Amino acid sequence: MRNYIIKRLFYSVIIAWGILTITFILLRVGPTSPVDRYILNIAARGQDVESVKQAIEARYGLDKPLIEQYFSYMGNLLQGNWGWSFSTSMPVLELIGSHWIYSFQLILLATIFAIVLGLSIGMLSAVKQNTRFDYAASIFSFIGISIPGFWLGLMLILVFAVQLGIFKTYYDTNYPIWSLDNLKQLILPVMALGIGELAGYVRYTRSAMLDNLRKEFVTTARAKGLSERTVIGKHVFRNAILPLVTIIMFDLGSVVFGGAYLTEIVFGIPGLGQVSFNAIFANDYAVVVTITLIGTFLVLFLNLGTDIVYTYLDPRIRYD
Amino acid sequence: MDLIYRRPVQKLVVAGLLILAVFTGCSAPAAKGVFIEGDVTGGEAETLNWILAADASSFGYVGYALESLATYDNQFNIQLRCLGRDIEVSPDGLVYTITLRNDLKWSDGSQVTAEDYVYTLKNLMFSDWLNYNYRDDWMEDVNGHKVFVNPGVINDTTFTVTRQTVDPEFVYTLYDLIPYPKYIASKYEGKVDAFTQAKEFNELSYTGNLGPYRFKEWLRNDKFVVERNPDFFLGKDNGAPFFSEYVIKMFGTAAVMQGALEAGDITYCGIEPPNVPKFKQLERINVYTVPTRGYNLVCYNQRANGWEGLRKKEVRQALSMAIDKDTIVQKMYLGFAEPAFSFIPSSSPWYSEGNVVKFGVAPLAGKQKAMEQLKSAGYEYTSDGDRTVLMDNNGKPVKLLLVTTPGSDIVESMSLLIKQELSNIGIEVEVKMVQWPTLLRQYMMNKVPGSDQEPRYNNGPQAVSEEPWDMVLMGHNTDPLAPSGSSVFFASDGGLNSFGFFNDEVDALFKKVKSTAGLDREDRRKIYIELARVMSEEQPVDFLVFSRANRGFQKTVKGIEPGINMGYNYYLWRFE
Repeated sequence: MRNYIIKRLFYSVIIAWGILTITFILLRVGPTSPVDRYILNIAARGQDVESVKQAIEARYGLDKPLIEQYFSYMGNLLQGNWGWSFSTSMPVLELIGSHWIYSFQLILLATIFAIVLGLSIGMLSAVKQNTRFDYAASIFSFIGISIPGFWLGLMLILVFAVQLGIFKTYYDTNYPIWSLDNLKQLILPVMALGIGELAGYVRYTRSAMLDNLRKEFVTTARAKGLSERTVIGKHVFRNAILPLVTIIMFDLGSVVFGGAYLTEIVFGIPGLGQVSFNAIFANDYAVVVTITLIGTFLVLFLNLGTDIVYTYLDPRIRYD
Repeated sequence: MDLIYRRPVQKLVVAGLLILAVFTGCSAPAAKGVFIEGDVTGGEAETLNWILAADASSFGYVGYALESLATYDNQFNIQLRCLGRDIEVSPDGLVYTITLRNDLKWSDGSQVTAEDYVYTLKNLMFSDWLNYNYRDDWMEDVNGHKVFVNPGVINDTTFTVTRQTVDPEFVYTLYDLIPYPKYIASKYEGKVDAFTQAKEFNELSYTGNLGPYRFKEWLRNDKFVVERNPDFFLGKDNGAPFFSEYVIKMFGTAAVMQGALEAGDITYCGIEPPNVPKFKQLERINVYTVPTRGYNLVCYNQRANGWEGLRKKEVRQALSMAIDKDTIVQKMYLGFAEPAFSFIPSSSPWYSEGNVVKFGVAPLAGKQKAMEQLKSAGYEYTSDGDRTVLMDNNGKPVKLLLVTTPGSDIVESMSLLIKQELSNIGIEVEVKMVQWPTLLRQYMMNKVPGSDQEPRYNNGPQAVSEEPWDMVLMGHNTDPLAPSGSSVFFASDGGLNSFGFFNDEVDALFKKVKSTAGLDREDRRKIYIELARVMSEEQPVDFLVFSRANRGFQKTVKGIEPGINMGYNYYLWRFE
């Protein structure tokens, strides 16, 4: 197992380097320029756009040959210098360091919310198949899957913040991260981000549980006189969860790169989603490359984590 | 009163009350409360190290802590800031004498001097190593060569800027000047990375008493916070500013931002036209409608890869007649706009109502007039079923391509309206939405076919864009005080004249307004009136509408003067 993990980590570094290089090249050979978004402002001041573009590119070394830029970037990277974000005027690491926590707390809480509730409701729904609870859970999950997260976010704000005044209309960074006020203001964003996932988990869990409930080992367990709680909790759920782990890990990746960003936008949470989105629009190369690299490692580690979790859930799986 | 003289205790009480009155009722309002301004994420500043900035927001953010030499009120009357008195211009229009206040201090307590300003100009803004983005503002064309103007120190509070050529509007560039402290900047001179990353400049720690606020915190994509500066040079007598903090809070969407205003979570933000009636009905919100510097326009491609008809003035006029500006004002902007006829808005001191040719509003508007104009320009109509179709010189139906960018409901509605209006006069229009970088690269940049020119926005009359197009719908900004900056779009050598409008008369007028002939204000006004008339007649573009902005404030904010530059006195705003 240890050798397997070491080997996977080694491959991860190679893959990450490859992705970094591709991202670096694609960003710079593309037709866009950091000046694009300011062109009308520059023009409104009666300036020659080309000379301003040349001035900016010269200042940040973007006028040098691509290969020189690449080796300079890699050299700095090896010395721990991740570059300077020219669209925010701060070191890239400092920028990411001051924003990651906002994304992390949102994704973590939304994931816990979705997993705990989704798996519980799904289990109950399977056990109480074709009851009112099951029907209600099914309707809820279909609605949850169908509603776009950003629309739900806007509606939650409209009802609970603007109309009822229970919450603030936006995420307030004045509250300390580890405070109840912060936890309270995360309720709506966590719901907006988590409900879609939750609804999916309800369906997946119900389906996987029903598959296993019909299997012979369940009949055997019941025939042996095991309590229903043991049969469901220890035998059925443990067998049902294996495919769910893959789905959850896969979802986590898409939440990080998709859903969380939209939730951040709607609730004004200054997380990495917003940072990366703005960096892309500003052609802030150093930030885009760094965030891509972080995302790459995250996905690679999630995959590795999934493989490791498999071995604990199903002792028959071995990698040595 | 007799009692006062007879009883010392009562005298003391009255004296105490008088002192109390001096410190309460008669004194300036006390600073209280946090003013929170809402903005959408795309509007956030790039940097507080302003010399590196290309965007407008960066200068806005810096302005909270660092006043310029002067600004304007809503009627364009000058408001002195760091200036002791207005800039004096020599009779020949070549020497500008700038006199500073003598009570301006940096954070280390040292005086802000003329030497700091001249150092900022000569050693930073004009330097080769720093590549100041707007250095062209400070250059002039002398015998075909671009050279910098010449600043020089006279004494601690006086410096001059000398030009070799006359430009009556150069004074407005001077008014915007803000300094770097020489004692800090000289440490980083010649070292671009060190200067770019200098903590003092990125955290505005040097601004002393130069602005109403001091930098406190900036969390990107979230909030920019400045706190009250008790030493502000304009607050000595009145105690300004009156907010303990001023916050710019970023929102991902305008809908949530306006929800925050409605809920009372923020103090001020812009309001989109459809929401104005609702906000006007809210008891605790004041909505002010003010003119802006922005206008929408349809560029007509007069280069070789646009429809040949667009190179004729009469055809451009006909198309502009067909597009009804009042419909745009009423249906798209819900009344919060006014028709545009040139790049000079009605709010400008150089605007003249009677001289512009008003295409697109009655009587120079409508389907019949436009069709007659096209016929008189030599084009013929044919019938296709119940449709009338305009034929080009080769006997083919005229089909035009309108290119614009997605993301704005108003722009999308306008493009559909233009399609409909031109369809009414027998012209089929295809609307194509492309992203901004694509619009720039494929449609606006051009080069002479077969040449090794680098694509630019105006590579001369023979140049064409990579993709053919006929019309581009977009937005521009203008400067109501110095509209000649629009020469960048409309002069033959204008760097953004991507649509290929080349007109000697317009070139001559742009040159004239920036010459000795424009030194006298009345003469300059006459030149602008003539320029606006020629532009409105030539229709190089269809100037559609100047938009008006709606600003929503909590009613508790006092001291606001609505107008085009309503923030000019923001340091005097206060909560009641």
